Amino acid sequence: MRDLLESIVQEGLTAGARFCEARFFEERNNSISIENGIARTLRSGILRGVGIRVIVARRWGFASTNMPTMGSARRTLEDAIGGGKSIATQVGEEAEIVEAKPEVETVSHKVKMNPEDVSPEEKVKRMLEIEKVARTYGDRVKDTFVTYRDVLTKVAVCNSFGTSIEETTPRTYAYCSVIAKEGENMQIGFEYVGNVAGYEIVDSVQPEEFSGKAAKKAVNLLGAQPPPRGTYTIVVDQRVGGLFIHEAFGHNSEGDLVFGGQSIISDKVGHKVASDLVTIIDDPTKPRNGHFVYDHEGTKAEPHLIVKDGTLVGFLHSLESAAKLGDEPKGSARAQSHHYPPIIRMSNTYVASGDMTFEEALEDVDLGVYLSGSQYGYVETQKGQFTCKAEQAWLIEKGELTDYLRDVAINGLTLDALKNVTAVSKDFMMEMPGMCGKGEQGMYVDAGAPHLRVEGIVVGGRR
Amino acid sequence: MTNLKEKTDLATPVERAVRLLSTMDLDVSDVCVSFSRSLSISLLGRGIKEAVSRTDLGIGVRVYKNKGMGVAFSQSLEPADVEKTVQRASSFAKVAQPDPYFKGLPGPAKASEVPGLCDSEIVSLTLEQASGLCRKMIEAVEDVRPGAMYLGGLGTNHSRGYLMTSTGVCFETEKTSVSAYIAPTFREGDDVGSSYEYDYAISLPEVDFEGIGKKAAEKALDQFGSKRIESGVLPVILTPDSTSSLCFGLMGAISGEVAVKGRTFASGCLGKQIARQIFEIDDDGTVPSAIASSTYDGEGVPRRLTKVVSKGSILTFLHDSYSAGIAGVETTGHAQRMGYRGYVGAGPTNIRVRPGDSSLDEMIAETKRGLLVTYASFFPNMVSGEFSSTIDEGFLIEGGEKRHPVKNLMAGGHILELYKGIELVSKEGRIIGKGHFFPSIKVSEVKLAGR
Repeated sequence: MRDLLESIVQEGLTAGARFCEARFFEERNNSISIENGIARTLRSGILRGVGIRVIVARRWGFASTNMPTMGSARRTLEDAIGGGKSIATQVGEEAEIVEAKPEVETVSHKVKMNPEDVSPEEKVKRMLEIEKVARTYGDRVKDTFVTYRDVLTKVAVCNSFGTSIEETTPRTYAYCSVIAKEGENMQIGFEYVGNVAGYEIVDSVQPEEFSGKAAKKAVNLLGAQPPPRGTYTIVVDQRVGGLFIHEAFGHNSEGDLVFGGQSIISDKVGHKVASDLVTIIDDPTKPRNGHFVYDHEGTKAEPHLIVKDGTLVGFLHSLESAAKLGDEPKGSARAQSHHYPPIIRMSNTYVASGDMTFEEALEDVDLGVYLSGSQYGYVETQKGQFTCKAEQAWLIEKGELTDYLRDVAINGLTLDALKNVTAVSKDFMMEMPGMCGKGEQGMYVDAGAPHLRVEGIVVGGRR
Repeated sequence: MTNLKEKTDLATPVERAVRLLSTMDLDVSDVCVSFSRSLSISLLGRGIKEAVSRTDLGIGVRVYKNKGMGVAFSQSLEPADVEKTVQRASSFAKVAQPDPYFKGLPGPAKASEVPGLCDSEIVSLTLEQASGLCRKMIEAVEDVRPGAMYLGGLGTNHSRGYLMTSTGVCFETEKTSVSAYIAPTFREGDDVGSSYEYDYAISLPEVDFEGIGKKAAEKALDQFGSKRIESGVLPVILTPDSTSSLCFGLMGAISGEVAVKGRTFASGCLGKQIARQIFEIDDDGTVPSAIASSTYDGEGVPRRLTKVVSKGSILTFLHDSYSAGIAGVETTGHAQRMGYRGYVGAGPTNIRVRPGDSSLDEMIAETKRGLLVTYASFFPNMVSGEFSSTIDEGFLIEGGEKRHPVKNLMAGGHILELYKGIELVSKEGRIIGKGHFFPSIKVSEVKLAGR
């Protein structure tokens, strides 16, 4: 396949492209859905194709095809070149790109148990064992769902700098959600595991700590109260902390949003954007869900220090944003599949540990809210306003956790919120494997933090 | 350039898969092939950034054996890959366990063709022409005020599909769509004026590109000077873009198996009054030239007009054949098939809220102190029905007038409380994609979390 890609790159240059990149993408996935003790559906799919990106007439053109043949790739190259030319006279962003160091390597991530070596029957048996613990947790458990998914992704990138890399990445996931019911009151609890890993991640799941925990949360939430509303001091656990830093700050540090005028921190390099306690890193080299060795432009991944002791020190870059913002690319451009051009994405984003304990983070809080478990979040980067939704929460009164709360979401302003981080604990954890949406693309990411205390955050509630 | 007139043969790979399936010992099956050609122009920063074209196709096979379901898909229509896809789906179905709720797939039915679902102008559109349409949006923004930084774009899609089932359903579909979105951001020191406008439709003439740009710019400038407000309980007026999220949340909660299996906040609401009599919703998948219309649903059942909420009461859930089988009713023709990947579930088509007799201006004028929400998602926790939403764009109303934009503000409550609190519905509203209609609504009180 890399021979085909390299040929296309040469043909692109011959046709007048200043830069040409050809990328092969293949994803094989298998999934099993268990519902209330029944392995209801088994699915399998294969995505495969080629995406070609060029700079021609100082503009970007991109095209893709599902047919990774020479004939189809040539037509796709013509479409990409035609695309760049089609916008040559329009007002907009001219394409710029840094001269990248050529990389030639083949990377294959190893797993302890290859999912392909485990039969569908065996996987079903294992997932039913996991599901049963949730289903038999108690009579208030109404519905249980367990999903298994393995994904094997192969990406090959060749470009006109001479880069020719190929990376094969296995990922495996298990997800459990439980609905509990009491009268008209229904609540949902969930748990998930996932990583760049093989079947060992499912094999090592302790059902009581996984599906049993999801069931316990759902049942306990039946007795939870709606949260109070207003502006509070909050303490967040490692998952909410990861979500918070991903949404509140991570997206704002993406170089395309910075040069595109969509980031609230675009002019803040060298300035204080957070309290001295906050150091933020995006690290694709960490063996977590957002791990990769090469990004989808063929740049070798390195850790990116974004905020050091409260000061903004850098952004995440593609080859383009590095050129436009005068920095070095460290491998942050990825694409969902061959149908999409690479854009700047976070990988494993986290807040570095501090030196407090969780108890110390709580003890000074007279009245506040402790949030645990992440659900979802989003941010309007241009305004610097973010929202994060937690699975469960507790009221903090005089340093102690008191009332149990449900359906808690928080809202804040990026530049205010990070300056108001007043405690960072030492119990760091990164366990938020998930997909992040940006534009129309989803991408594998992870996020983590120690416990954080933040002052002046709006808590949305019914009380 | 790729020859757009060249039609990919969809029937042959489907028939090949169906022939192979017929030799296997299976209950029922369906095979879907879909093809799409899409163009997009992306906007970032000072304007147009990138031109993209995509050609996608694939085959999906859904197989039932002893009521267990196996699904497989592939993006290759090569005979060997079609065969492997069928084999994978079939072997998976044999491992899956019997689903006691599965009653079978629908048989063939005749329907009147819904006209106007394919625009030849979109089929033959070039990227150069598409970039010209994007430029119209940008120029309209710049006419209002120059110097914005942009996010957005324009996308067109031409898709064809072919579905064949072992129960005798066989039909081909063809559809086009266009979507346009522009979000200008203006800055004055540390103050930010940013908003967005959009539209989507089946055909190009339905989209007013200059109008989108002009409105986006005006909305963005309106956002300068946003302020925090105190927590409180206030009447809230939702403009059509916020009403739509409220309606999509409800329609999702009364659609398909999650509704009939008692897994949503609205599962117990069938036949019950959830809002005042002024509030009514129809769902109509047969509106000519409308974005969510089609002749058949994703299982080959004719689309229809469905009265969903009448005089404030929920009359029916929206069914595909699976959920209808559980409820013991006929399917309502709301099966949605997500291309060739084999996902089939129930969901709404064109949502049409009945216009009321108020107006947005009257709603604002009669509000002493309240909140005008121009954009927020009121999509709730689908199980509990509770929501806790950021007011992404809104304005404080005082003395019957719009005062200033708000920020850092959330609304919380139960979605059914919001429906109960609807006291006014406007006669004017927004038609989207020639199919959806959402008016402005006034809710008597909503709990707000702010300063």
